[in-house]
Amino acid sequence: MFDLLLHEGIENFIGVPDSTMKHFISQGFKKKKILITTREDEAIGVAAGISLSKQNALVFMQNAGFANSISKITTLIQLYKFPIVFLIGWRGYLKTDAPEHYKIGRIQPELLRAIGLDSKTVTESNWKQCCKWAINKVNHSTPCALIIKREFHD
Amino acid sequence: MIRKDAIKIASHVIADSPIISANGFISRDLFEADDKTTNFYMIGSMGLSSSIALGVALKNPRKRVYVFDGDGNILMNLGSLTTIGKLKPKNLIHLIFDNQSHASTGGQPSNTRNIDLYKIAKSSNYRAFKTNSKIGLKKILRKIKNIDGPIIILVKITKGGKPGRRIIHSPVTIKKRFIQNL
Repeated sequence: MFDLLLHEGIENFIGVPDSTMKHFISQGFKKKKILITTREDEAIGVAAGISLSKQNALVFMQNAGFANSISKITTLIQLYKFPIVFLIGWRGYLKTDAPEHYKIGRIQPELLRAIGLDSKTVTESNWKQCCKWAINKVNHSTPCALIIKREFHD
Repeated sequence: MIRKDAIKIASHVIADSPIISANGFISRDLFEADDKTTNFYMIGSMGLSSSIALGVALKNPRKRVYVFDGDGNILMNLGSLTTIGKLKPKNLIHLIFDNQSHASTGGQPSNTRNIDLYKIAKSSNYRAFKTNSKIGLKKILRKIKNIDGPIIILVKITKGGKPGRRIIHSPVTIKKRFIQNL
């Protein structure tokens, strides 16, 4: 998935790590394309700066960080129409996930709908289409989100 | 020195280098004092001006990129200093206009009354300067032209002055004209 997005013109990957996508991030480190920030909203700011420089950027985070960042998404990314792709790990998708993830996990799809951020949930079978859908959004100057369910425990 | 005077002086010295300005009265004062297509007025997303500037600086190494930040703003995103300090962009110049208060929301006190941002910047790998006068600010801005960043300039300002008028450009216009002139 990382290689496909990079090949399709997403050159910058900024965010706060999430174990749901640790393989994605380690592939990014191999290609020297990852920038880790202290908070998710900081990553959103850096991505906006990169977009001002006519390059594409993806911001990765766990959904707890997405909840933290909602006002930055609405008042920076959506307000100025920055075509940023969000890659969000969905903790709390499983009811048996850790208790701190349960509440936000349950309302994750509603949160995305409420702020009007178009999203697709990535699966084993549809990930290529999802990436192409996101690239198409970027090419039409629209932000979007790809969601990865956390379907395992560690 | 009040905020509006400091912003006017800095913007005139900086001329047509890109400026990312923090939300609230800082962007409004910059707009009123010296509206330029190379100004990116961040009207929302409090705290993120230095992060946006970091993105611009990393991708435009030949341009000097300036941040017009406030004390309340940077306190909201102190982690940004560590990310900038780790990456050490030579072309990033971070001005913090510090009136030790949240002036845009009624002048409530901020933590810079008790905490020294100069020391935090120094320990985050910044070259740090501070001033509380117009002459001092002009001198520092001239001096740093031949110094590698990241640079922080703490500009102590006093309260007062009528805030600038609201920015009349739409957010998408602010973005488009900045991109075209970068």
